[in-house]
Amino acid sequence: MKGWTGHILRIDLTTRTHKIETFGEEFAHKWVGGRGFALKVLWDELRPGIDPLGPENKLIIAVGPIAGVPAPNTGKTVVAAKSPLTGGFGDGNLGTRATEHLRKAGYDAIIFEGQSDKPIYIYIEDDKVQYFPAEDIWGKGTYDTHDYLYKIYGKGVGVLSIGQGGENLNRYAMIRSLEGRAGGRPGIGAVMGSKKLKAIVIKGSKPIPVADPEGMRKLGIEDLRKVGEINKQTGWSIQSTTGVLSWCNEVAALPVHNMRQTHHPDAWKIDGERLNNARIATYGCPNCTMRCGIAIRDHEGHESELDYENIGTLGSNLDIFELDQVGSLNYLCDDYGLDTISAGDTLAFYADAIEQGAIKGDFRFGDAEMAKKLLGMAARRQGEIGNLLADGTMRMSRAIGHGSEAYAMHVKGLEISAYNCKFCPGMALAFATCPLGGHHKDSWVITFEIKQTKRDSYGPEKAAKVIELQRIRGGLFEFIVACRFPWIELGWPLDHYPEYFNRVTGLNWSLDDFWKISDRIYALMKFFWVREFPDWDRTRDYPPMIWFDPSNADKDGPIAGQVLELDKFNQLLDHYYNQRGWDQRGIPTRKTAEALDLKDEMAEVEKYTKLE
Amino acid sequence: MIKITVKLIGPLINLAGFSEKTLEFPAETTVEEVLAALPIDPQRPKIVTRNGQAVAPGEKLKDGDRLAISPIYSGG
Repeated sequence: MKGWTGHILRIDLTTRTHKIETFGEEFAHKWVGGRGFALKVLWDELRPGIDPLGPENKLIIAVGPIAGVPAPNTGKTVVAAKSPLTGGFGDGNLGTRATEHLRKAGYDAIIFEGQSDKPIYIYIEDDKVQYFPAEDIWGKGTYDTHDYLYKIYGKGVGVLSIGQGGENLNRYAMIRSLEGRAGGRPGIGAVMGSKKLKAIVIKGSKPIPVADPEGMRKLGIEDLRKVGEINKQTGWSIQSTTGVLSWCNEVAALPVHNMRQTHHPDAWKIDGERLNNARIATYGCPNCTMRCGIAIRDHEGHESELDYENIGTLGSNLDIFELDQVGSLNYLCDDYGLDTISAGDTLAFYADAIEQGAIKGDFRFGDAEMAKKLLGMAARRQGEIGNLLADGTMRMSRAIGHGSEAYAMHVKGLEISAYNCKFCPGMALAFATCPLGGHHKDSWVITFEIKQTKRDSYGPEKAAKVIELQRIRGGLFEFIVACRFPWIELGWPLDHYPEYFNRVTGLNWSLDDFWKISDRIYALMKFFWVREFPDWDRTRDYPPMIWFDPSNADKDGPIAGQVLELDKFNQLLDHYYNQRGWDQRGIPTRKTAEALDLKDEMAEVEKYTKLE
Repeated sequence: MIKITVKLIGPLINLAGFSEKTLEFPAETTVEEVLAALPIDPQRPKIVTRNGQAVAPGEKLKDGDRLAISPIYSGG
């Protein structure tokens, strides 16, 4: 078997023992890698109902067959676990040197299970796994943690770490890698923290198994050059993703004031142009051809690397329009190891709840200094407020009550990324059907919706586009594991990816072969949720109710007087479910599951609910 | 003559040399005529909105319209 190492490293943190397990072609061809591997392992090995922050949960680190191979933007790794934020399937990807090192160490995935009794970090070098006490770095932020480990092992190793957020089980804690790189929005860092695992250091020295190494090397290096050239010609990296802020502001989709508003006259103060002007450094992932991380000097003088989601959720959604202060909030999130999107949305919800009189407090929109203090409290779970904030928007709203659930901006417990969909039915559907919750990662349909459809349409074309993008973004790029940016931002044709895959594996697959795997993974992710919540119905796929509330309509601007309509949104969900072959509850039918070769999984899920 | 505010987004700013500018055009100027007046490759994929709404290339503009021109993005 070429293209895969065929090895999974299983580490038991309770006993501090490990073993190397093997897998064969059937598993590799059915689940490919990354999200596919992680999902299948979690499905097979987790009992439903377990505490995501207990020893029974498992932390998966997984790469795909083209990960780490010299080719455009292949420096990513998937991290996954049962989410402590949502209770469902949780994963994320991040750029890291660990990608290449993991493969060179001889593994396609690591499974961490159990729970250490004391804080530790782990050093993996090929077949060697060592456990070290982490007292010197426990309690420290990710920047100090990385510096500490780099001093011991050198800067070339792969490091994945958590900050105070993960240590203190903040439910939206992430895993950090390089400067500003982080992954695992649904609290995967908290799972790592619950295992008292402060960091993972990986160094590999073996060759990555490639069927056609010389052909792949030539092709990959040439394509790295070509994509880099396109990036230069188009100027995409001048503002990277941060140009999106101005666009969202123009089309009334910007999150402002806990998403109660969709545009703001001061948005320009934190836009991509200002950010580019303030740039002091640029960062990217390994094998990157279009580095997207724009670093600026924050209010306290730290280097802070920003992208659009950061400035949208920690800036405009909090009514903070001072770029250096947004940089400070972003730096703190990175250092504490918190998801910037959930952190920003949670603070915005808190300010909103105070403004609505649902809870008493001193925090107001626009107060950057108080926001910084609250982030520290949330990361360390300090006091009643720190604990409340650390649990995320869904749990906060349930604790606060007084109708605040309606403006708690999450889907399935995961806070919504920086797109205000009070009148974007297609993008609202993308959030609603994202297998993680309110994440933009799987299907960013908003540009298609605005450009190529009628904005007020709830027609099947929007459902079809959401599914198409989920197959590509949430499927293909998450299981072969590569960054989607060359494709979507620079127009790098998708056909290149089966070409890389085939050179690496020696197979002869086409894009059509990948789509069935994408659909299989989406069906199993839904089964994972249903097994955890057997009373599943379509209301779990609804976006926040405030997007349907006419009193929340904009008073001026492009969408004045307009909000989503629930009956029409249900029709849109019907289109989506029908096109996917799912029933009216949003669960794959028996026929669909059989067609996707999920017979065993179907039998398992039928222990909890009857399939149609 | 009509006044049109042109808002450019992302790297298009660097191509045109401005971020936002109010320009004068003859009455009944169309969207594609405004685009043609800018130093932006016509083949480049982009999203154009008029007063925040999608607009067809042949649509005639009115005095005071705001035209936002953006490259295609996929999110941060």
